[in-house]
Amino acid sequence: MNYDSSLWLTFILIGLATTLPRGSFIVLGSRVKLPSVVHRALRYAPAAALAAIVAPDVFLVSGDLHPFNLKLAAAVVAVVAALYSRNPWLPFIAGMGVLLGLRFGLGW
Amino acid sequence: MKLTPAFRQGACEGFRDFLPLSVGVIPWAMVTGIAMVSTGFTPLQAMGMNVIVYAGSAQLGTLPLIGAGAPLWLIVTTALVLNLRFVIFSAAIAGAFRECSLPMRWLCGHLLSDGVFASCMKRLRLSKDRHWQLGYYIGPSLWCWLLWQCFALVGVLAAASIPKSWSLEFMASIAMLIIVAPMTKLRPMLVAAVTGAVGALALRGMPLRLGLIVAIVLGIAAGFAAEHWQAKRSPANEAE
Repeated sequence: MNYDSSLWLTFILIGLATTLPRGSFIVLGSRVKLPSVVHRALRYAPAAALAAIVAPDVFLVSGDLHPFNLKLAAAVVAVVAALYSRNPWLPFIAGMGVLLGLRFGLGW
Repeated sequence: MKLTPAFRQGACEGFRDFLPLSVGVIPWAMVTGIAMVSTGFTPLQAMGMNVIVYAGSAQLGTLPLIGAGAPLWLIVTTALVLNLRFVIFSAAIAGAFRECSLPMRWLCGHLLSDGVFASCMKRLRLSKDRHWQLGYYIGPSLWCWLLWQCFALVGVLAAASIPKSWSLEFMASIAMLIIVAPMTKLRPMLVAAVTGAVGALALRGMPLRLGLIVAIVLGIAAGFAAEHWQAKRSPANEAE
């Protein structure tokens, strides 16, 4: 796919959406306090967002729900590797190994 | 930024504390580099994004949206949601920078990362020496930045010579799963993640990929509700 120059505007806006939350309290100073309800709710944002982004890639095959597919098998292996090993490379090696092993080895 | 002895000593100690953890940055950076090329970016676009954005999860999370031609506001909102945890991190360490100049504070904010925060927060908050604190934060942060850029470039260059049938873009999904997996050891976090995932699948037919944002909001609400319910059932677990 080819992208036009508006891609750079996208980068700059994503950059702002990154640096503003990071800078927030460091720039404003510690006098400003975050309400504790907001504080507690914000903790769930990354888990909810990442799960929502990943789910379609893992559960859908060309737009349809397939509870048993190659990518789901690979994802399960990668998650198990991440939970039970401290090696940062292992989940990638195990997950990609299962995906490519099943695809090229068994012709799935 | 004055290179006082205290600053230098802080930088050395921060670097030493972060060094073992910083190895974890390498696969992340490479996977992000690979994922950007898999999305169709040229090496220049990929490294441009890497320098401008400097945020693994926000980069990985927005790539599928950019690739699918999602509307700009949705891409930016998603990035913002993925970065909301940094508001909490920023509040936790803000005290260390209160005597720094405004540009320096923006720089420190821009460089804030999960890894440096995790390894440096404790000693950063305990110290009273401004120069030592700044060095202790800036030292490992610059090292993290350097590692991130270098190994993203390695990923970008490697991805270009790997066939498409290897589905390297799936490494981005694995990377996101690895961040979520350890979080779900806390029950409300698991509820938030499952709700987000089920919501995204159930609402995938909504126009403009609006289902994604709705699913995230539902996930946050569900996690928050689960936390309340858990605390009510067993008050002793509240501190968890």
